[in-house]
Amino acid sequence: MTTLTVNGTEYPLDLADPRVTLLDALRDRLDLTGTKKGCDQGACGACTVLCDGRRVLACLTLAAQCDGREITTIEGLESHPMQDAFVRHDAFQCGYCTSGQIMSAVALLGENRAGTDADIREYMSGNLCRCGAYSNIVAAVREVARHA
Amino acid sequence: MTTIQQPRILGAGVDRVDGPLKVTGQARYPNDFNLPGMAYAAVVRSTIPSGRIRRIDTTAAVKSPGVLEVITHENADHLGEAPATFIKNPQPPLQDDQIRFYGQYVAVVVADTQQNATAAARLIDVEYDNHEAILDPHDPRAERIKDPWGEDTAWGDVRTALKRAPVMIDQTYTTSENTNNPLGLFTTLASWDGDTLTLHDSNQWPNMIQQVVAAMFGVPRDAVRVLTPFVGGGFGAGLRCWSHIPLAVMAARHVGRPVKLELTRPEMFTGLGHRTSSINWIRLGATRDGRLTAIEHESLTTLPLDGDEYEPCSSVSASAYASPSVTTRDQQVRLNIPWTNFMRAPGDAQGNFALESAIDELAWEVGLDPLEIRLLNYAEVDPKTGRPWSSNALRQCLEVGARRFGWSNRNPEIGSMRDGHELVGYGVAGVSFFWYQQPCSAKVIVRSDGSAYIRSAVTDIGTGTYTIMSQLAAGLLGLEVSQVEMQLGDSSMPVGTAAGGSGLTAALGSAVHDGCGRLIQKFVDLAGTDPFSPLAGVPFEDVEVSEGRLFRKGEPTRGESLARILAVHGLTELSADGSSTPNTPEQMGMTPAGARGARFVEVRVDEDLGRVRVARIVTVNDGGRILNEKLARSQILGGTVGGVGMALFEDTVTDKDTGRIANATFGDYLIPVNADIPDVHVEFVGEPDAFNPIGVKGVGEIGLVGVAAAIANGIFHATGRRMRSLPITMDAVME
Repeated sequence: MTTLTVNGTEYPLDLADPRVTLLDALRDRLDLTGTKKGCDQGACGACTVLCDGRRVLACLTLAAQCDGREITTIEGLESHPMQDAFVRHDAFQCGYCTSGQIMSAVALLGENRAGTDADIREYMSGNLCRCGAYSNIVAAVREVARHA
Repeated sequence: MTTIQQPRILGAGVDRVDGPLKVTGQARYPNDFNLPGMAYAAVVRSTIPSGRIRRIDTTAAVKSPGVLEVITHENADHLGEAPATFIKNPQPPLQDDQIRFYGQYVAVVVADTQQNATAAARLIDVEYDNHEAILDPHDPRAERIKDPWGEDTAWGDVRTALKRAPVMIDQTYTTSENTNNPLGLFTTLASWDGDTLTLHDSNQWPNMIQQVVAAMFGVPRDAVRVLTPFVGGGFGAGLRCWSHIPLAVMAARHVGRPVKLELTRPEMFTGLGHRTSSINWIRLGATRDGRLTAIEHESLTTLPLDGDEYEPCSSVSASAYASPSVTTRDQQVRLNIPWTNFMRAPGDAQGNFALESAIDELAWEVGLDPLEIRLLNYAEVDPKTGRPWSSNALRQCLEVGARRFGWSNRNPEIGSMRDGHELVGYGVAGVSFFWYQQPCSAKVIVRSDGSAYIRSAVTDIGTGTYTIMSQLAAGLLGLEVSQVEMQLGDSSMPVGTAAGGSGLTAALGSAVHDGCGRLIQKFVDLAGTDPFSPLAGVPFEDVEVSEGRLFRKGEPTRGESLARILAVHGLTELSADGSSTPNTPEQMGMTPAGARGARFVEVRVDEDLGRVRVARIVTVNDGGRILNEKLARSQILGGTVGGVGMALFEDTVTDKDTGRIANATFGDYLIPVNADIPDVHVEFVGEPDAFNPIGVKGVGEIGLVGVAAAIANGIFHATGRRMRSLPITMDAVME
């Protein structure tokens, strides 16, 4: 039995099947569907979550690897200013990449990598947005970083 | 009550009403639904482009852990024909042993978990008899279809005009295949309850899915309910009923449980269609001072063996410029390829690249500023019919854009604007986008508390339909935006049209406009039956609506609230059905104009490496009345990003021997990332359009169009090298 700690809650999980990724465990077993699957190959960033405070791709992380670690998903953010900034700057359209963008952006603040627009663009480039909301994402992250 | 009131609500940058759901992970997309007892499906795809299945061995898969069912053409249900819905839909899968393209579904496995289904699918062994595939558009054996939509145009004497023209441009421009790649993995969750079926499904048109699935499975339409409150993007990918949908439905019927079929990213490349490649032959004739005397544009695009597609690449050249003679011809060629399909600005995206590149070439040839040549040949009226446009602010787009960009700072000499090791180039392109609208309906309801909601079976694919329809109805009913809820994404609602062709806002908005008018009429009639009502005897034309109250024009105190009228008559709600059908040019005496736009781009080309960087973009568009500037701006931004992708990165590469798409992942099929996109200045110009009662022109697609040509034209200004093929790669720039 593995214990997944997600957003402060402990979930005992029967992982008899070791192929289950953290992403599938969150979405299929814990019904935490805010974390999205966009490629399942580590290339789009839609599944970005925090693992012990660092951003990781949940599709490239096996659930079994997360035993004893603290996972934070979009559902675990408590009215983070980044969420509000994303709404006001219209930093999304379809909204599918948004959870991953926000988790990345929140981690970026802690990484001290949101100092300039060029930095924000570079360090947010692991999160694809096919609707093309990039400029608005930069505006939202910039605003929160300045007030942080 | 025919005009839009309370403009304070329209145009304003109201935040997306579904924003809070999307930033908290609470918006539920089709693959976010999990049902009790749900099983998971995985598909098997063909590994040849043409032939037949000689043998398919499912023994190992059937025995694999957790497997509930394996369906191939040998045990599939016989399904009914898929009807065409505006365009064709793929015929039901697994009905025979024929292989028409690499990646065609040949089996589906259902298991208790996704992991078990995926693992078992890999155990299915298929042997094929190979037939020779036709994969090259130039293959003489390929079936060619001339004038596929009866839209080829010809006026004037192009041949003579070209022969006599003192200046001629005669060039070929090509664009590669692109793949829509919405980020949301298209998913169908099918659940049968007796003979009724519920689908959570990724699409852009729930009533279309409903109609096609009902026909295939031989059930009445109202026995099928399609739910799509949110979808992770579409860009055209959700405009047909793709084969994975009936596969999921069939699988659910076989196992007697709900079945979720979520496509993988590689499956998204073969299963949902893609933008066709195009070859465009353009000949321009002109006087020495740059006045066009002839435009000839021919295009060749591709089709799958058994599908259709509307990609009128050459049509853009029939309406963009004033020319006394014009010929446009489109042709399609059938290949053993996955379906070609609509992708953001079909036809226009490719055709505009060709035409706007050629116009740029002409400008250089005659020594005119590329902006000037566009204004010189400006089409004041529809060149095809001579009718006035319903609205057209292209000139303003070009002029305002040039000012914002600082076009006058451009040194016309090639390679003259160097910055260190980078060559700087300025490029411009104009855009005349097509007009498109389909019938649509919506129900408008006011509740006893005075709030309202609207229902229509449409989708909001990220364009902002939830928000702008709430704004529109709030304006028409005299309510606050927060008092109006737009309900959509359910096929059981009033019949809606597709979120496609940049046509939904005009279609649905006109239906909402109609419904709100009818509803106010009902309220006025109702009040008129109450002798004590201050509105008794006031004719409909004299009634105004504001702050939830109806009152007599000029007499704000003589009126009563919608809520009170309902209360007086003991009603919990009052509703009206609204509908819209597009006007015709004959009836209106004008040609409906789609959106118009101008692109100004600064590119920087690394002299040593040929690397192209887009440094800044100014995009000015005429979208008629803009219902919400914040959201409309986002549509243009998104289109711009798509345009940069088309210009510099996107290329769906098909292996020429096997027909296999060789780069079907996000690691290999490049789309722009955040760092690829510079500052983009978006601006709107123009007036409300005269062709529909709400004055809008869609802006979902136009943002993409023209970006590629402006970039290519900028590269020419920087380097003197003409890029006639997309995407523009470093090697091409260095050649």
